[in-house]
Order: sequence, then structure tokens, then C-alpha cells
Amino acid sequence: MSGTRVAVVGAGMTRFMRRAQETGKELAWEAARAALDSCELTLADVDAVCLTSAPDAFDGVHMKGEYLSDGAGGFGKPFIRTYVGGGSGVFTAIQGWYTVASGMFDVALLVAEEKMSSTQPHPQGAFLTIFDNILERPLGPNLLWIFALEMNRYMSAYGLDKRDIASVAVKNKRNAAGHPAALLGQADITVDDVLASEVLAWPVQRLDVSPISDGAVAVVVASEEAAKRITDRPVWIEGVGWNLDTTYWTNRDLVYPEYVENAARMAYDMAGVKEPRRQIHVAEPYDPFDYKELHHLEGLLLFEKGKAPEAARDGVLDREGDLPSCPSGGLLGVGNPIAAAGLMKIAELFWQLRGEAGARQVPGTPERGVAQAWGDLMQVGTVVVMGNDGGPPKTAAGLPVVQTPPYTAGGHPLSDGGFRSALGAVDHRLGARYSWDAGVAVGRFLDGLRAGKILGRECRRCERVLVPPRMFCERCFRETDGWIEVEHTGTVQTYSICHVSWDMQPLDPPEMPAVISIDGSDGGFLHMLGEVDPDGVRIGMDVEAVWKPVGERAGSILDIDHFRPRRQS
Amino acid sequence: MEPRVAVVGIGHAGFAPITAGLSYKELMFEAAQRAYADAQVDPRADVDSFVCCSEDYLEGTSIFDEYVPDQLGAVQRPVQTVAADGLFGVATALMLIRSGAARVVAVEAHSKVSDVLTLGAIEQFAMDPVFNRPLGVPALAVAGLDMNAFLERTGLTEEHCAMVAAKNRTNALDNPRAAYPADVRPEDVEDSAPVYWPLRELEVAGRADGCVVVVLAAEERAGDLTEAPVWLLGAGWSSGSPTLESRTWGEADFVARAAERAYAMAGIEDPGEEIDLAEVDDVYAFKELQHLEALGLGTAGGLAEMLAEGELEADGDLPVNVSGGSLGQGNLFEANGLARLLECAEQLRGEAGERQVDEAYVALVQSWRGVPTTSAAVVVLGNEEGT
Amino acid sequence: MREKVARPDEVRRWPGDFPVAHRYTPGLAGDAFLTALRDRGAILGSRCERCAYTYVPTRLFCERCFAELDAGVELGPEGTLVSFTIGFVGLEGEPLDRPVTLGLVRLDGADAVLLHHVLDPGDEPLEIGERVAVVLRAPEERTGSILDILGFAVAEAESD
Repeated sequence: MSGTRVAVVGAGMTRFMRRAQETGKELAWEAARAALDSCELTLADVDAVCLTSAPDAFDGVHMKGEYLSDGAGGFGKPFIRTYVGGGSGVFTAIQGWYTVASGMFDVALLVAEEKMSSTQPHPQGAFLTIFDNILERPLGPNLLWIFALEMNRYMSAYGLDKRDIASVAVKNKRNAAGHPAALLGQADITVDDVLASEVLAWPVQRLDVSPISDGAVAVVVASEEAAKRITDRPVWIEGVGWNLDTTYWTNRDLVYPEYVENAARMAYDMAGVKEPRRQIHVAEPYDPFDYKELHHLEGLLLFEKGKAPEAARDGVLDREGDLPSCPSGGLLGVGNPIAAAGLMKIAELFWQLRGEAGARQVPGTPERGVAQAWGDLMQVGTVVVMGNDGGPPKTAAGLPVVQTPPYTAGGHPLSDGGFRSALGAVDHRLGARYSWDAGVAVGRFLDGLRAGKILGRECRRCERVLVPPRMFCERCFRETDGWIEVEHTGTVQTYSICHVSWDMQPLDPPEMPAVISIDGSDGGFLHMLGEVDPDGVRIGMDVEAVWKPVGERAGSILDIDHFRPRRQS
Repeated sequence: MEPRVAVVGIGHAGFAPITAGLSYKELMFEAAQRAYADAQVDPRADVDSFVCCSEDYLEGTSIFDEYVPDQLGAVQRPVQTVAADGLFGVATALMLIRSGAARVVAVEAHSKVSDVLTLGAIEQFAMDPVFNRPLGVPALAVAGLDMNAFLERTGLTEEHCAMVAAKNRTNALDNPRAAYPADVRPEDVEDSAPVYWPLRELEVAGRADGCVVVVLAAEERAGDLTEAPVWLLGAGWSSGSPTLESRTWGEADFVARAAERAYAMAGIEDPGEEIDLAEVDDVYAFKELQHLEALGLGTAGGLAEMLAEGELEADGDLPVNVSGGSLGQGNLFEANGLARLLECAEQLRGEAGERQVDEAYVALVQSWRGVPTTSAAVVVLGNEEGT
Repeated sequence: MREKVARPDEVRRWPGDFPVAHRYTPGLAGDAFLTALRDRGAILGSRCERCAYTYVPTRLFCERCFAELDAGVELGPEGTLVSFTIGFVGLEGEPLDRPVTLGLVRLDGADAVLLHHVLDPGDEPLEIGERVAVVLRAPEERTGSILDILGFAVAEAESD
């Protein structure tokens, strides 16, 4: 890398709350102001502003980056909002890095905001629209499905014990008990509590999941020269990496996040990290669900595939363990205002590597940490390696400087009733409507379904048959060569037994979403299982499509009513 | 500052009011194929980083960045989405290359606005939910308010704005890509129905679908990839107040700040003298004049004179929106900036056919993100003779 | 691409929406503004002394310098028309039964402007620079909303 070194020099955050009285702008300002105050800078010292926030459907504002820009300090300044779904918070640090490393700006203010409580009747509603417009949304997928599908695949592939995974939720909620901004810190929670919590979408239970939250986090980054003017304890951004995998998540094996590994290798190469397990002393992997932290620790090359759960069980990941993971309390404990939670991980490494994390400080003298976030359809990895050039500074007596800065500013939580009755609150249903053009590939696929056929596109170069079909091969970047009718049968790649609707209403009987690999193709798609007892479903089970009667087919993914266990023919 | 960065390939698709039978992915694929062929790069091997520009509500999808990598050859590569006009994507590519994180970057922006049935409601959804939306304020109203304040401040008239609309629609007759070419006279514009007076129907760019992909490269790679590099001489971007109440009405101060940065980087001291042609935002006709003023290319009185004397025409001293602009090519939303960059790249390469401007060495591109934003980006481009 | 949809009856479209609604809190500063408007019919602003700029509605922070602000200034009720527009179409371009007039008004004491309807402009054409006054809903009808203001009306000559 040719650019200047870039350091984190300040950080601040709001409390993470279930429902904030503040507007999104106000949350952004509270965090940004706290971050500037922490390094004794003013807005006039800021040369560029980098903002992130996950989908506009949370805050409920089109072009919400523009709306939030004044709260983030963007007035009169070069301002850009980037986003990569749930990976956005950590990505902002990457954006801050290249903004400064370009040599074009000396000091950049990074802000991540999310106000999820605006979405009615439930914030999960915003996730209904992350799925493919035409091929997935008609199935009514909710966000829990994809986590449950991935978690099941991960657990099944390695024969994992749910207790080991639950220990991550326990660790993080306990860690968060020492965090002044935390929403769900809980010092006395146990693995049995997690295992006894309500099953939402098997294998996901309520306490496996991070809480929906409002909040904002801000970080100040500076060029080497500016950083040395601002502080005697800069924490350096040593490496950055990011990577986006194919949109066609049902064509991938969810057992391992290759995109995280790719991002990690990019960041480690830049940081000169050759043996991550030895050279990384503290980790803040992304933990929206407990199993995700483990999945990501493996993708970060800190544990072998399938081996992170036993490390969690054995205490390796505890704050006092050999590799402290999520000492902040993570998303599971502090809260999950999506983009803000990612940037919180950068702030935590900053505090940990300065020896300023107070009650959360990991013991010893950590010199290097890694923060990571994930996002989209099991698709994005964002990784940042940070270091303090040889340990936190010592006082004259040789003791580490340990203090808890007043970095938490603002945050006025509203109760449910207070939110409902808030003076001047405005309700608005945007009646946005779309008519999406299916185009060539999906249009023909829908016509095929109406005719009782499942069609794929063949790429003769990589010799794959792509289902769902596309006119391009993403591996070869060339046009696909022709249509192939594939089988009506397939195999359950992974599945879930989902007991709640997207707005958390109980479902009886439960839904059984599954990723079906389609025979005769190299792909597959999301669909529903039926005519089978939930206890009888297995990964690897052979299934067949059950079609709607000809007269009821409409050229829709729902022309297949469901898949059922394959009958002997 | 080093390294220098050049546009080494550019491709487009669509540019029509409706692109029926093509999905947004297929539209992107076509534009990307053309851009990579133009730059003679294989995206799977040669492009280090990808930047896409989009907004969720224009797509009807949350977290739209999920849906971009495959059709760009970007799978399992560094890809990011910038929630902004394509010129902000170009600015991002510039930073990525200068930081050393990439040598070759592809930037994509598209519009598939023909998928949207309720564009007005969505545009209003960008405004403050507590203080503005309850009043029922369409985007056009904000444009009408700004136009009236602009005319009041500058003394420019509705007639001047009508001349801009007529010029750009007529310019589009020479542009085979343009979605809205028409033989329009200023009097036709003045006779068209007021929508939010003083803003009239023929002063509002019609919506269009389209995609543009640009490949940028560091100097060390640019030489391998093209014989006709178009150098990115300067880039600047800036925002003002997003709040309707506390912004400067009738004036694009944020464009002036963006231009100041771009000019400083490009070493431009007298833009009127040094810039040979400009493609600037004209989503509403008056905006072209407001933006030219902010870009330092004319004063209010000077612009009136330049219009009267035809200096902004294709064969004038300062050809502006020779492509037809957004009024002539169609409003491509986040792709507007790249559509203007496409025109300037063709002009600087001498490939603009009927529209070719004589002695085109240095070109200016400017974009604004539309109502209700105050965000703009400015890029200065030059060919070998212009550097 | 070698293969395209070339027949109009083969174009496939799929309908959709965002199946959620939103509830927006007015925030810390907005709460102060709307409470004063409802209870006292007062229009509050926030003054940043450092920037010598008075915001309306109230703001928690100065966007120019990031100073924390309070809702300490009462503005108007009269002011100057900074711009106006006359609308003939609705959100999706549909013609309106009656044109609407929207105005930007710099209330006395403010630097920022307030956006609202201009009521009954009458036959006399509006002019930028004209004096206008805020018209409020009756106290018992106010709920704590920007719509507690009915709009601006051209000020009577004697109040100039």
C-alpha cells in the first residue's frame, strides 16, 4: 500500500436503546460530538465525513444518508454514504481508511446510525424486502429463515452441540454487563437460559439473537501526521479487507463464509499478519446471532473449520481467555442497531488497544485486534486489523493507563407506551409500488414454471447449469449458452422449522423453508417443504416438487406449491 | 498528487424511457460488457475493486448492494455501494487508487426507474417526516421554490430557463442515445403547463432507464489499457444543509464548494477560459444556469448574454450539455453523473460524431443528487492535449 | 445478449411494495417545538451564538459548528416571504382541483425559513419580499403537529 498510515484517534457512541426519543439526526450528532470531544477536536477540524446506515426502510427515509448528513457533520463538507448491508459499520472504517490514505484528506469523521424502531409494526418488516423481488419474496421469507438455514447447515456439517453455541450468547451478554451503553447486559445469564428460550425458527431460539436497537457510533480517523498532532496514543488501521459473494446464496454451501476469509486475507496481507491466531490478541467478530460469531472466527482464520464452538465452550473466547472475542459484549449484549453495531466494534478495539476499556478491558497488553462484520444475503465480509505499535502506553510507575472515558453521550429511551403516545409523533405509510421487469432469464423461468418445467441456463465454459437461471455466468463473466430443463427433484441442502411470522406472531403449524439443490443443475432455490412431519425432515433428504394444478399456475415461484419427500418411483 | 488516474473504458446500455424485457441485472451486464471490452480488461482478473451507486427505494429492494456483483464480474471481489450519484463513485475510485488499495476500479450506476409506479411518493419520502411531509410537498414544489428564489436573486427570467430547455432538447437530436430528443423552441417551453410555477412541464427532465459502467486505472496501468486515456484531473464533492429550512435557497453553494476543490486539484484558475465543454445537471432547466453560476462559468448577467448569443450551444464558446443533458437524454437518477462523464469521455476522445466539439481538451462534469438534497460532485477531465 | 425478449406479450413483470409503515418521533428538539406550538401557539427556534444563526424549527445542534442548542428563541409571528410556488399537480403528476401555494417565510428573528402553505393569496399576485403572518389553528384543535399551523397569510397593511 502506498498511502499514508491512518490512525483512529477518537470514538464515541450513544446508548443502544430499544426505542430512542431522538431522531436519527440527533443520534448521529450525539455520537459524532462525543467522538470529537474524546480527542478534543471540533467540526472545523474535520476534512471529510463518511456515513453509513443499513436499509432506508429502517429509519423510513428515502436517501437517508442525505437526511442524516447534518447530524453526521456533513454540512459544507465532502460527504459520502457507503453501505454493504450488515457489513456497513466496519466498512465505514475501511471508507475512512481510504479517504485519508488517499492523501486527499487529513481528518475524517466516521458515523454509523440506525433507528430501527421507526419501522412498524415490527422492524423485521424492513427485512422482507431484502429478498429477491420475484423468486423469493412471494414465499414470504423472514430474516430468521436465512440465519436458521445457515445455522442448521453449520451445526449439521460438524455435528455441533447447541450448548457450545449458546455459550457465546452467555459470554457476550455477561461481557456487556460492564458496558455503559449496553441494552442487554446480563451478568447472571446461563447456557440453560438460552436453551430454554422460545424456539423462533429452529435451531434459532430467542436468546441466540441480538436485540433490535436504535443508536449511533462515531469514530475519528487521521493521517499519520495529523494523528500525532491529535494524540500520543493513536491506534493504527494496519489492514482492511472487504469482499462480496454471489447474490445467488442458494447456490452456495452455507457451511463456511468464504467471503469473510477473502476479506480477512486481504486485510492480513496488508497488515503483514501471517499467523493470525498468534498475532491477533483481541477480536470483535460480528455476532448478530451466537453461531455467527463462531462462523466468523473460522472465516477470520482464527480457528479451524468447525472448531470455534469448542473454543467457546472451553473459555478460550472469554475476556480472560487466550483469544478474547467480543469483549464489548457485542451485538448480543450491547445491542444491534445494524450499522452502528459494526462501528461499535472498531470503537471497542480502539478502547481495548489504548487500555481504556475500563471494566471490559482484556488483561495483558494486547497489541493487535481484528474487527469484522457481515451482511447481505450471507454474502459480505468486512475486516479491519488495528494495532498500537507495541502495546498501550505505560505510566511512569510502569502500570498501564486505564481509564473509562466519558464516551457515551445521549440516548433517551422510550417505553412502549411512551413511544405510542409521544407528542407529535407522525405515522406514515409510504404506498410505494413497483412493477419489476423480470427480464429475459427470470421471465423465461417464470414461463417455464407455468408450463410445469424448471429451467436452467448452461455455461459451457465452467460446465455448470445455473438455477435460478441468469443470462450471465458470474464465475466466467460471459453470456450463458442456452436453456436446459432440469429435474423436478432435488435434495434438502438445509432447512428450518419456523414458528413465528416476520412480525413475531406465532405460527401453527410451523413453516418449513428449505434450500433445495435441484437435480440436473449446479444450483437450487429457496422453497417450502410440505407433506412431512417437522421431526422427519433431514438435510440431504430427497424431495420432489409438488405443482399447483395447471389452471392455478400464474408464472410464479408459487406454481410449485411445495417440495415433499420423494416417493419411490 | 500521485498517482494520476484515467478513465480507460466506458460502456452504457438502455437510455430509453422504458427498457421492457430487460431486468436491471441484464441492463448492468450489457453496460459492463461494453466497458470491459472498451478497456480490454477481464473483470475476473484485472479489476481490483468495484463501486456501485444506488438507493434502495429507487430499486424497491432493501440493502440493494446484495444484487450487484454477479452481472459485473465482481463475485468474491471487493465491492461496495455508494448511496449517491455515479460521480461520487468516481470520487471513491480515485481515493481507492490513490490509497494504493486498487489499481483498476470499475464504477457502475444505473436507473431502472420504469419499474417504479410511485416515484412522486418515494421522492417525498426523502423529506423530513415530522416537519415537511405532513404538508404534502412534492419534489417539484421544492424545485419551484428554488427556481423562484433563483430568478428573484439573479434577475434571470423564465425566458432564459426556456432557452435552456429548448437548447438541450434540440441538442439531443444529434445524440443517438438520447431518450427525449425533440425540436423544441423556447416559446414551446413557455407555453407548456406550469407544474409548480414558475417551473413548467417542459423544464422537467423525463425519466429514463439506463446504465453506465466506467473503468478507471492508475497511470501505471492506464498506458497498457488504452491509447486514449481520459485523465481525471480533478474531483470535488460537497454537501450543504439537508434541511429545507436552513439551506441557502436559490443558490447552489454546495456546487461552488465542490468545484473549488476540483479546480484546486486540477490546477484550474480561470474555469471560463480553461474548460472547453461542460455537462452539468439540468434535471430542471433553471438548474443548468444555477449550476453554471456556482461553477464559476458565468455570472447572472453573463449567462443571460451567453444564452442570447448562443455561446452555450454546441458550436459556441462554452458548449454546455451538448449531449442534450438530462432534459434531452432523460433523467437517469444515480446514473446522471456517469452519463455526463460518458459524453465528455467521447468528446475528449474525438468520438462524439455529429456532436463533436472542436478543440475539446478539458471537460467539466457536475452532478446534483436532486430534491431534496444539497449534495453535488464535480469532475474535471482532460485528454493528452488537455493535461 | 444473444437472446432477448422481443415480443411485447413476453415481457414479464412482478408487482411489489414495501409492506411496512413508519412512526417518527419528533426528537428532543422537535418535542420542544411542538409542545410550545400546541400549548402556547408559539414558534420556537434555536440560536447558535457562535455562528450567529437562528434555526427554526428548534434544533438540538448547530449543523454548522456542532454546538448544542436549546429552544430558547421565540420567533414571528410575522415574517418575510422568501420564495413561493404555485402547484398545479399532485405527487404523481395528477392535476389538482385547485392550485396550491407553498411559501418559504423568514420569520422575524430567524435566519432559517419555515415552509408552509400560503393561505388564500387572493387576486393580488404574491410577491417575494412581502410581509406575511402565521395563521394558527384554534388552541383546542392543536395536537402538536406542523399542521397546528394552518399556513401564512399576507399581513394587513397596518401591521407593516
